[in-house]
Amino acid sequence: MRLLSRIRAIPLSYRVPFLVALLMVVISAVISERVLDRLSSTQESFLDGLAGSYLDGLSASVLPAVLRGDVWEVFDALDRSQSSYAALSPIETVVTGSDGKVLAASDPTRIPTYSDLPQGYLGRYGRDPVTLDDETLTGLARRALVYQGREIGAIHAAFDVSPLYAERREILVTLLVTNSVLAGLFALGGFLLVRQMIGPMRVLENHMRAAVQGSAELIPAREFPSRDGEVTSLFLGYNKLVHAERERADLAMQLAEEEKLASLGRLASGMAHEINNPLGGLFNAIDTLKTHGATPGVRETSISLIERGLKGIRDVVEATLAIYRPERSARPLSKEDFEDVRLLMKPELRRRRQQLAWSVEWGNGGALAVKGNPVRQALLNLLLNASAATTEGGEIGLHANQTNGYLRIEITDNGPGMPTDSIAVLTTPSPGPELRAGRGLGLWMVRCMIDELGGTATVTRTPEGETSVTLILPAKWEDAHDEQSHAA
Amino acid sequence: MPNIWKSGSITRRAALALGIGATASGMCRGTAFAQDDTFRFGLTPVFLSNDLELLILLQHYLSSSIGGQVELVTRRTYQEITALLVAGQLHSAWICGYPYVQFKTDLDLVAAPSWHGKPLYQSYLIAAAGRDVTEWQDLQGDIHAFSDPDSNSGSLVTRALLAENGMQPDGFFSRSFYTYGHRNVIRAVASGLAQSGSVDGYVWEVMIEIEPGLVEQTKIVRRSEWLGFPPVAAPKSFRGDPRVARLRDALISMREDAGGRKVLKLLRLDGFVATQPTLFDTIAAKVEMLRRFG
Repeated sequence: MRLLSRIRAIPLSYRVPFLVALLMVVISAVISERVLDRLSSTQESFLDGLAGSYLDGLSASVLPAVLRGDVWEVFDALDRSQSSYAALSPIETVVTGSDGKVLAASDPTRIPTYSDLPQGYLGRYGRDPVTLDDETLTGLARRALVYQGREIGAIHAAFDVSPLYAERREILVTLLVTNSVLAGLFALGGFLLVRQMIGPMRVLENHMRAAVQGSAELIPAREFPSRDGEVTSLFLGYNKLVHAERERADLAMQLAEEEKLASLGRLASGMAHEINNPLGGLFNAIDTLKTHGATPGVRETSISLIERGLKGIRDVVEATLAIYRPERSARPLSKEDFEDVRLLMKPELRRRRQQLAWSVEWGNGGALAVKGNPVRQALLNLLLNASAATTEGGEIGLHANQTNGYLRIEITDNGPGMPTDSIAVLTTPSPGPELRAGRGLGLWMVRCMIDELGGTATVTRTPEGETSVTLILPAKWEDAHDEQSHAA
Repeated sequence: MPNIWKSGSITRRAALALGIGATASGMCRGTAFAQDDTFRFGLTPVFLSNDLELLILLQHYLSSSIGGQVELVTRRTYQEITALLVAGQLHSAWICGYPYVQFKTDLDLVAAPSWHGKPLYQSYLIAAAGRDVTEWQDLQGDIHAFSDPDSNSGSLVTRALLAENGMQPDGFFSRSFYTYGHRNVIRAVASGLAQSGSVDGYVWEVMIEIEPGLVEQTKIVRRSEWLGFPPVAAPKSFRGDPRVARLRDALISMREDAGGRKVLKLLRLDGFVATQPTLFDTIAAKVEMLRRFG
């Protein structure tokens, strides 16, 4: 499996020629085996025929001499046959008489006339007409000399078959060389062909990689192949996709902007309400002052009332400024950011008559080395979502603590539970269908913040329907001298 | 009769032999004789297998010298030629001294070849060149190759030698066989088929010039005394035939004719000479001694 994985990891432009070469090697091995097998059969058949012819001729020639026991005639026939059958390359031929003794051998010095046939001669023959001895590269054959149904002697012959083996070796080498050259040429051709074929695919691949990195670009017309209709169609399809993606991104940005405006509207509405509420009291106090301002007790009470009302209005305005002033966006996160969020949520909570369970454990009270603005915006979005999901009069919560270099923030609600698609927006790599449908943009902004800071988000739902969104953000304490004032 | 012409010379002249195939078959018929007026001249068997060029030249020379058709007749053994000659089916034949002595009463001497100035030759006992033997007695227990049972140099001389020493070939040699040709005896010894052989000295000496590679694989262990060279003989029944006389003249004057000299050159002979039957008395004595020894 590892090998397969490694092979799969090889680029296609190398893998295909390699496979072509491998295929050629396999094919050539099979072909070579078949050719050599056929050659071997042909050679053996040829040798059988030649040896048969040699033995036939020699039998006819020596039979009368063997009958007479004429040593010379037998030898003379053997001697002449050596040159007559040069194509067969006889090495040694021995003729024995009816008593099994040697009448004559082609080399009488090795096997003398009238001697016994050497040991092993009788047992060296197989069932084939010619038995091949691979070690000595010799072909062995025996032919009985039969006269009137009686065996009167025999011919034992040995042939040099090394030329046959040499021919086999030569053909094997030729096959190997030819097939190697062919395999090499096919591999090279395959490499060049595949490289040319996948060239446009590489263009597409590069554009898609760039798209993954976030910069999807159109494939320029000059990179379109001039003839390949399929690839052109593919490129056109990709360009359409890029166009569609751009439109979708534009739409998403537009929707995000609208969402932002909607949130702003809600906040503005809440803020107006927050400001409007004390305004009635303030006007009443002013009327009271106009009417009974001379009365010291009434005057002081009214002025105190006006002061508290104006302080409330100032807090709301400061919180709003803190969130929407761009110059503050780079400020490190501090406990005050949380308080701003709490302040901003007040109008909405009051409108829906909801409770906010709040706990922020902030250690030494300094700032963390993360941008405050995105976190505030994200927390605001999450709390607004939690508020929206919770029924009127219900309760939502925010609990934050900072330990071991991580900031943990948990937002809870007791609504019907966050939909799966919304959870996907926060927790999965793909925004999911929710976002593609143009919804959940608030959550997507939270997700972007988390990704930007390198944090994680988990969503849990209890059987009772409560939802808990937990953000874990890496955050270290900012140096003391970097801390800045919250003041606008 | 000498057996000197190697198969190599045949190869050299193979094309010529093929071209004259019809002529050769006509001049060396083995089964049927030619017309009655054809002069039939017998040759010892070795001729057929050795040098067709010699046969052609000899036939041409004899035809032109004797006049009329000449047929050269060959057989495998000396005995067959001798039988045909004695039976009067050949007008003349080149035979060995041993058959001549045996059928002396039925045959007339026509001429005898002259070699090194004399109508004499020797019989050799030969062995393999690398073998450590110096005396003929060292050949005891060998497988021995004889040439022909009716050959003087290839059989009779060795048998007579053994008989003189009270031995028979079967007792002295472990085994023996006939090769029916002096060249074959040399081949048998050279190849190791036989450890020793009885061979015509003239053939051995000539062959060492023609086929040194073969002959040098053998060495001479014993040379016999000089003996009458195998003669050309004719049946006494043809004594009145003028063609026999013309044959004698043709042979004796062979060296004076260009065609004849070609034949003599191939045979490595000086020529032919008229000779007396006494030339073969030594051989006759051996025959007689062998007959008495049994």
